[in-house]
Amino acid sequence: MKMDACETRDLSVAYREEPVLRRVNFRVPVGGIMGIVGPNGAGKSTLIKAMLGLVTPLTGTSEFFGESLNTVRNRVGYMPQSASVDWDFPTTVVDLATMGTYGALGWFRRPGNAERKRAMDALEQTGMQDFAMRQIGELSGGQKQRAFLARALVQAPDLYFMDEPFQGIDAKSQDAMIGVLKELGAQGKTVVIVHHHLGSVLDFCDHVTLLNKTIVASGSGPETFTTENIRATYDSSNGAETFLTAAE
Amino acid sequence: MDPIDFFGNHVFRMVFLGTTTIGIVSGALGTFAYLRKQSLISDVISHAALPGALLAFLTAVVVFGINGQNMLLLVIGAVITGTLSAFFANMIAGQTKIAIDTAMAISLTTFFGFGMLLLRIVTNAPLPGKGGIQDYLFGNAASITRADLTTSVAVGAFALALMIVFWKEFALRTFDPVLSTMLGFRARLIDTLMFGTIVIAIVIGIKAVGFVLMVAFIVTPPAAARQWTNRLSSMVILSAVFGGLGSGFGAYLSISMGNVPTGPMIVLLLFAIFVVSLVASPKRSIIVAGWRHAKARHALKQELLAEGESR
Repeated sequence: MKMDACETRDLSVAYREEPVLRRVNFRVPVGGIMGIVGPNGAGKSTLIKAMLGLVTPLTGTSEFFGESLNTVRNRVGYMPQSASVDWDFPTTVVDLATMGTYGALGWFRRPGNAERKRAMDALEQTGMQDFAMRQIGELSGGQKQRAFLARALVQAPDLYFMDEPFQGIDAKSQDAMIGVLKELGAQGKTVVIVHHHLGSVLDFCDHVTLLNKTIVASGSGPETFTTENIRATYDSSNGAETFLTAAE
Repeated sequence: MDPIDFFGNHVFRMVFLGTTTIGIVSGALGTFAYLRKQSLISDVISHAALPGALLAFLTAVVVFGINGQNMLLLVIGAVITGTLSAFFANMIAGQTKIAIDTAMAISLTTFFGFGMLLLRIVTNAPLPGKGGIQDYLFGNAASITRADLTTSVAVGAFALALMIVFWKEFALRTFDPVLSTMLGFRARLIDTLMFGTIVIAIVIGIKAVGFVLMVAFIVTPPAAARQWTNRLSSMVILSAVFGGLGSGFGAYLSISMGNVPTGPMIVLLLFAIFVVSLVASPKRSIIVAGWRHAKARHALKQELLAEGESR
């Protein structure tokens, strides 16, 4: 049997006594882009955070390449939702990208010229090389996301988790980022991406998971992302109608 | 007073070197407190260091029968209660719905109240070597002995060495705790080390500057340094330089002017450095920024008015 990039077994999460995820069995095959789609409060971000141990699950386990996260940390990258960092922090874009090398460096070792070179290469990949010496607060929303994507690329994991990376960014940045993601997929890397814009899901996702506290459907893009499944995920009140009506 | 007379005097030299050491160490390490938005926790820690220092004094005198105003003992006691107060504040905020500012105020006043109680007990009791113990409140730079200076330099250098060794870990944990955890760096370990160094930076200043004003040494230099640079390494160095300069020059001035307390003099000088930085920094000057802002608004207003007229 082909190994999965990641897999959860009966993963449940509750904030206080309110369940957010109920016994989710989520698996992502190696290679390509997996989109996680669902209404607000469906637990999309929570699913990723619980898998990565950033939120403690109530039940269940997660595995990455058949191993626990601790053994394969360097193969897993994560880009949180519009990174909640202090934008006035004294750091330049190239310093930010260089942080992607810290995991491989381990304790005590400092980044040197080789690490900075890799950071510059990644900035070039996301079209941010001209901003390398800017302080991060001087960037636009899209540029910030591209800088964080560059940092994820420097980390060079085999599996990327991205939480709504396109939220509130300009079209040019989004196109540049999608280009990079597609390239990663083509190289056999795996990308798991939380995405809320239904109209563009099939433009770049090879696989889709529809989530609303439990998994409604999961599998290859066109087969899974059907009107029926979307309706089942977004119960009537919840926003998908505009998209579905337009599609019909 | 001319510098030759000043540096020829042993007490003056101790005051100068002691306060400069405090300024450099707290300026450098205060940068991390500033960047973690934990400036106020330094105030909690410095006030909570009072009961620790007094308990250390009591233990030394009553239990061991040795000199209670030994700098190293004082630092150990202060580090213990200072750290406890920070944990206490964070625990209240974490376990209840009480906000962190309230939690810090509760922690600060409780520890400080206990410290004031101990201070009264110590002053009223017939204990040997208690002279000058009230100076812990507002500090007395003239009380710095050669041994105090040696201890300050050694402990301060230790804290700075920790910062340099764990530089990358401190920086990442401060800037992006999520990535730090994701990459497998142990959060609890880094936090303990980082707050340990900040607590050291605070408590070595207690004897010279006092609990009440010590927070200025931690907070003001980084705030001034941030105006001049966009790199963490240069910010730490600049903050240390501001702290050292402000302290050394402040010590010199306070002695030259005669009968002016050193700690408050330094605090005012640090504030002056801060104000100059706010106004004169090329990138972040509040005057330049305000002028640009007003100009842009004026241009926009003219544009909107013109638009209205042409309609």
